[in-house]
Amino acid sequence: MYNALFYKEWVKTWKLIALATIVFGGSITYSFISITQDLRVAGAIDVWEAVIMKDLPLLPTLKWLPLLVSVLLALAQYVPEMQDKRLKLTLHLPLPESGIVLFMLSYGITILLSIYIISYIILLSGLSIWFPSEFVLSSFYTTAPWFLAGLSAYLLTTWVCLEPVWKHRIINAVFAVSGLSLFFIDARSGGYNLFIPYLLVFTVLGLLFPFYSVIRFKEGAQ
Amino acid sequence: METIIQCENITHYYGNRLIYKDLNFEVHKGKILGLLGKNGTGKTTIINILNGYLRPRSGVCRIFGEEMENLSPTTKSRIGLLLEGHIQHTYFNVQQIERYYSRFFPHWKKDAYYDLLKKLQVSTTQKINTMSCGQRSQVALGLLFAQDPELLIMDDFSMGLDPGYRRLFVEYLKDFAAEGNKTIFLTSHIIQDMELLIDDCIIMDYGRILLHQPTGYIMDNFRRFRFSADREQAVVHEKLWNTERIGNRWETYSFAPVQEVKSILETQGATDLKAEELSLEEAFIGLTGKY
Repeated sequence: MYNALFYKEWVKTWKLIALATIVFGGSITYSFISITQDLRVAGAIDVWEAVIMKDLPLLPTLKWLPLLVSVLLALAQYVPEMQDKRLKLTLHLPLPESGIVLFMLSYGITILLSIYIISYIILLSGLSIWFPSEFVLSSFYTTAPWFLAGLSAYLLTTWVCLEPVWKHRIINAVFAVSGLSLFFIDARSGGYNLFIPYLLVFTVLGLLFPFYSVIRFKEGAQ
Repeated sequence: METIIQCENITHYYGNRLIYKDLNFEVHKGKILGLLGKNGTGKTTIINILNGYLRPRSGVCRIFGEEMENLSPTTKSRIGLLLEGHIQHTYFNVQQIERYYSRFFPHWKKDAYYDLLKKLQVSTTQKINTMSCGQRSQVALGLLFAQDPELLIMDDFSMGLDPGYRRLFVEYLKDFAAEGNKTIFLTSHIIQDMELLIDDCIIMDYGRILLHQPTGYIMDNFRRFRFSADREQAVVHEKLWNTERIGNRWETYSFAPVQEVKSILETQGATDLKAEELSLEEAFIGLTGKY
């Protein structure tokens, strides 16, 4: 039965997943071309100096991409469920309701994690060709909040979408934007390192929010 | 007789507006029960309460003995649900939606779905969101027949359908019910369709059930009486419903035998009395009033 749920989510989202894969692939390719171009034109010493002394980020194009893809994925999954309250049909399936919701969330998170992890492997492997491991690790810590923001944005957008009352949706959206802004505070490299565990906890807690919206939906909140 | 649906003392408000007070009814196995009522009397509300999509202020509904908020997956598999407007997952095409639902129901009848869809001029790869309202209704109905549930709950099944599709829908439903042991609970605005279909009838008024009787009883006993009377005030009697003046004549409705109504009205100065048999729609108007 869960295979069928997977099938439903796939039909709703496969085009977006394909697009996200292309955009991530394109962005990573662009980052690599940009770095090799800088190394060729300015020379390795100048590039290294800019990264070390001026703290220039190596992968600026990736800052908003995880967030954007996550929001779009959540919209693709849950807007159709809330149109004409089709979620009633989904919750009427002969499966435990919490299991249905958890499966739908797991689907989205798995898709996002797959894209993120593959992107990370390619990025970090690519960077390690030109930069020492300290740089690569620093890039990991710099980009980690952006990817965590992606996961968090997915859960918070789901929470907003599944909320049945528009007024509450707006309040939830304001809270979501405020929460997500924590992931994008300007900081020097390494400035976020100690904060990342807290962001991780925030992201994990975000898993509970969509369930609250579904409870309100089930109660018929007006 | 086994009780399939049971609602006990349901009271519900939207804000301060009372929808029902202490609503009670039961639906027995094998019956087709129609819930009729004017707009705003809470027909969709009771469907939502029944399926656990709305928590009433008080009271409880049970389906197959389970409380509405905690229906088990097994019980859900025994219930076919048609939402108002024949809502379905319209991002699927005809084939995909059948494949999707078939995994959930052990007694899935693929042929029942495709037999119904053969009547439509659609291909199996046509997306549901490109179909007309009538075609979508047949997809929704085909899925319900393929599920082969013991209980069908249908909210305003005739909404948006032209007469041909409405008649097709009703005929298929009748055949489905005739297979035996099927219980159907439905609402509709088009009462003439219900007349062909339902065994029992609940007529809702604002805040309460006005009447819960077998359809045959209403059709056989409820009559309209037209008469002349030289009076300004309507005749008021416990056995008369919605007495009102139409032009220079009066009309009233009653379940009482013709002779009894005649004697009631003649004591009030009525003359030229005519009794008329009614369709279910006319009976509904007689019971609820025109306004």
